[in-house]
Amino acid sequence: MPPNTMSLGLPTASELKGYRIWDAYFTPSFSHPGRDGGDLIMADIQRSLPTIALGQFEKLHYFAHVGLGTTTDPAFETLVRQQPQTVLKPLETWPDLLIGSIQLNPHDPVASSDALRRWLRDGPMRGVYFAGGGPAAMTCTDPRFHRLVEQISELGGVIMQHTWLKTGGKQGPGESTPAELAQLAAAHPHQKFICAHAGGQWEEGIRAIADHPNVLIETSGFDATAGFIEMAVRDLGASRIIFGSHLPSRSLGTELSKVIAAEISEEDKRSILSANFRRLLNVA
Amino acid sequence: MKRRALLHSVAVIGASSLIAPDQTDASADESVPTDETDWAGSTAITDTNVHLFHWPCRRLPLDETARLVAKLQSLGVESAWAGSFEGLLHRDIKGVNQRLFDACSQHALLEPMGTINPRADGWQRDLKRCRNDFKMRGIRVYPNYHQFQLADDCFVSLLRAAAKMRLLVQIAVALEDVRTQHPLLQVPDVDLTALPEVASSIPDAQIQLLNHRLSSSQLKRFQSVKNIRFDTARVDQTDGVATLTKAVGSDRVLFGSHSPFLIPEAALIRVAEANLSEPDLVAVLSKNASRFAEARV
Repeated sequence: MPPNTMSLGLPTASELKGYRIWDAYFTPSFSHPGRDGGDLIMADIQRSLPTIALGQFEKLHYFAHVGLGTTTDPAFETLVRQQPQTVLKPLETWPDLLIGSIQLNPHDPVASSDALRRWLRDGPMRGVYFAGGGPAAMTCTDPRFHRLVEQISELGGVIMQHTWLKTGGKQGPGESTPAELAQLAAAHPHQKFICAHAGGQWEEGIRAIADHPNVLIETSGFDATAGFIEMAVRDLGASRIIFGSHLPSRSLGTELSKVIAAEISEEDKRSILSANFRRLLNVA
Repeated sequence: MKRRALLHSVAVIGASSLIAPDQTDASADESVPTDETDWAGSTAITDTNVHLFHWPCRRLPLDETARLVAKLQSLGVESAWAGSFEGLLHRDIKGVNQRLFDACSQHALLEPMGTINPRADGWQRDLKRCRNDFKMRGIRVYPNYHQFQLADDCFVSLLRAAAKMRLLVQIAVALEDVRTQHPLLQVPDVDLTALPEVASSIPDAQIQLLNHRLSSSQLKRFQSVKNIRFDTARVDQTDGVATLTKAVGSDRVLFGSHSPFLIPEAALIRVAEANLSEPDLVAVLSKNASRFAEARV
């Protein structure tokens, strides 16, 4: 990026637009969409819109709670099970901007399997999210994952697995590390997995998944530590890296700068910011 | 000319937040920065939080001073207050500060902020050297690397001495997320509980917190302590900088990037996201730092 095109660290609008940014990790009101089924998530999306415009994002991918016990609020869970159309409000409000996946609960494989049919097979959701915390968190080496992964594969869904590798050890029993995701991925070589946050401690996260070509890393969720993308491109190749914003609980500055300021080619930036995720979703 | 270019960018960035929700799609780009917007070299940004030399656990893309300076210049930074990564673990603080001074002397953009470890014997000599020999405007302290608390006598003594010498005191609250630290180098964030009282007891002391990530309850405790200022390096969430300026006042927030450990564009873009008013943006990017520093001369 020639320096004279920068404005407060941002490329120009036309350059940003040229990247066709597809955000794989948009987290409005991530743990609870709101007591009425959606007031908090709608407000958080609204809160993010100026930044979405500033970044010239083309699409954002969020993770819907669909009544599988993925929140700690029984009233919300009941409401969404009784009125599943509530889940669709963000997609109906911003149909050209948002794409969705569902949060699964591997503790309840039967209901999760039903939800896959309801939301992936019949649409409009595109994949699943396995959490690292909260009531649905389960380490991804648990045998209960396999049947769900097989069903997701049959439906052509994207799998986003939350990962962190924390100094001092796991902060919850359901957390997963990149190495654990690599174990799961090895058992399902024809399914692609997204290693959300690259494990946070990305040097070890990148090394843990490097030998598993069906695992891609997602870029959000930790400080804008310099050198991350450069190492990932060097050790994995740009085709295995997917941009995520973690908006609005993280910032455009923290997350977009990781890619646009990296010392990599413009072609690699376009792959990371857009093409790789679109390829996973089988869209042009 | 500089001011005109700055205000133009302020206008186009600020306008981006006025887009109606239903316009937020790929076509809604007319109100964000244009190709004609040219910031580089035409602003007077002060980055109050950079370090020179090598981070102990990783090579960084910009950890060679000349590369860091070139990058900062390309982003419109005209002054950068630089500490030394050597100050974290080295015990020869005199040598640390000499090398920092020498490196900064090679680049007009860099302003050295010497390391002081108030638990080390002879810190008073280091402090005098910073003021008298190196003509520094301020110093930087690393409480949790040097193992002291902000209520400890040694720190209070340092704060009094620095105030007497009219030296700024930058407190590095954190250098790295505790979750990603090397297992043999685990350093928690600095406990700031005692700081409001300590700072209030020495009103001439001028303090800046670096790399903080303050909760709303912590911000409330700092609201009335006017001799404490804040940087922007690790203030996250898309509206984090705006929230900080509202909480403590836009005159107490100074741009800081924590580069080269963090990507310098990260903090700059976050300021753009904040949708600050034109005067507040100018204040955060440059004016507050100038006031803060000039008051010390």
